[in-house]
Amino acid sequence: MSTVTRHRGPRCASGFRGPRRASGFRAGPQPEQRPAPLRRLVNAAPLYQFLTFAVFAVGWELYARTRGGLLIPTFAETVQATAGLLGTAELWRAMYASNQALVLGFAIAVVAGVPAGIVLGRFRTLERFADVYLNILLVTPMAAIIPLLVMSVGFGLASRVILVAIFSIVMVVVNSRAGVRQVDPSLIEMARSFGATERQIWTRILLPGALPAIMTGIRLGLGRAVTGMVIVELLMVSTALGGLILEYRGLFKAPELYGTIVIILAEALLLISVARWSERKLTRWARPNPARSA
Amino acid sequence: MIEIRGLSKTFVGQDGDTVHALRDVDLDVAENEFLTVLGPSGCGKTTLLKAIAGLIPWNDGDILIDGTPVRGPGPDRGMVFQNFALLPWATVLDNVAFGLKMRGVGRSEREERARSLIALVGLSGFETKRPGELSGGMQQRVGIARALAVQPRVLLMDEPFGAVDEQTRRLLQEELLTIWEKRRMTVVFITHSMEEAVLLGDRVVLMSARPGRIAEIVPVPLRRPRSSDVGALERSGQYVEITAYLWDRLREMHEEQRPAEVAG
Repeated sequence: MSTVTRHRGPRCASGFRGPRRASGFRAGPQPEQRPAPLRRLVNAAPLYQFLTFAVFAVGWELYARTRGGLLIPTFAETVQATAGLLGTAELWRAMYASNQALVLGFAIAVVAGVPAGIVLGRFRTLERFADVYLNILLVTPMAAIIPLLVMSVGFGLASRVILVAIFSIVMVVVNSRAGVRQVDPSLIEMARSFGATERQIWTRILLPGALPAIMTGIRLGLGRAVTGMVIVELLMVSTALGGLILEYRGLFKAPELYGTIVIILAEALLLISVARWSERKLTRWARPNPARSA
Repeated sequence: MIEIRGLSKTFVGQDGDTVHALRDVDLDVAENEFLTVLGPSGCGKTTLLKAIAGLIPWNDGDILIDGTPVRGPGPDRGMVFQNFALLPWATVLDNVAFGLKMRGVGRSEREERARSLIALVGLSGFETKRPGELSGGMQQRVGIARALAVQPRVLLMDEPFGAVDEQTRRLLQEELLTIWEKRRMTVVFITHSMEEAVLLGDRVVLMSARPGRIAEIVPVPLRRPRSSDVGALERSGQYVEITAYLWDRLREMHEEQRPAEVAG
């Protein structure tokens, strides 16, 4: 359960979370609040994200200029190389190859993992058989099984797909299972009292109730899938984005090496944002107070 | 209307002992009677209600509704739950219409009936809100509307006002009386409050614990309708007398129970 966020927070735990609460609550006359647009800007997450990024970029630039050398490009060089890379066919071919493994592997993880997790959550006896394998998947460094995969499946797309799937499926299974489990049993009893069939209990109670946790599992699984995609390319099959990284390292092309990493990071960020956005859209009710955040 | 004959239910406790949740319960509930069931915690009152609802199996005895034995949940019974049991992802309208949906009632009819019940419990204007946006009292109004929507002949209520604050509780009691006076039906109402049992019920079934059995059935001869002046009713001699009597009996039960609690 520890890998899972609780979805059903107590109703009153969400209070007014404005700038006043953050600065500590004081008695007596309060200073006037800042005008709304300014307040919104000060509270906006993107502003802080931009600020920390700016500090990071300046720090990088300074460090690379004073201490850097062949292997540490400056921030400006990296940006330039990244832009340059985006114009090459080589990069897009690599992106295509990598994402092929990502999409297929992740799709397998979701299609197999969600039903597996739901079934494990509903039928506890099965868990005795499955628990040990899930724990293995959770704690084993997956890189360890790469040689094994290569020996049995070879260097092709199949082994990359399998590794991505193995990387991400645990999160999907564990969270789907927890999601079904945290569905309030009194809801099932309620549905039965109104004459719901077993099928209706699944479609009307268990699945919607587990959806927030399932979506969380999908988001976390996606993160692991990206990790898996890059690791397998670095350690086993020198193709695609991982192959590019190795190639640029071999040629001491540091700015391009960094640029490739930046592109991978950007893609991962984008994917996670999309997952988070759809998670929010689909499970508005699961947040403590939907009225206020809307 | 409801006949319960020799109902017994046992289950195996955590230490392996057999616990008699209900032993030899005989009870008759008349058509359109408001029956309240009162007892200390662990006396099996919720078990009794769930058995009538057809939600749990029992070991021995029969439950008949209009002569038909209970084999499972049925459309003649609607249930209201202590913790509301509302679908957090569904709107008020969908929650109220839930029972109708399970019975295959078409969308337009279902929503029409749900809307009229939402109006009955005073929640008009809240149809598109979700349970998380409502207070406890409003949530239980949704629960009551949902049970009434299936037009049950028997309304089963499991400590329905146990999870709301005292003021809301009093308002809900009055409203329940008003609704019941308008559309009479058979009600079995579980509670642990003596005042609530007397205020609402035609008869109070007093249960004792370990084993769960009916200790006494106390008639409540207070005049109806009661919703119009609850305050005067609560000051009446009869009301005070019956609640005092119930408390005496409950205290006796607690004292009998005490040695058992120490031993167990």
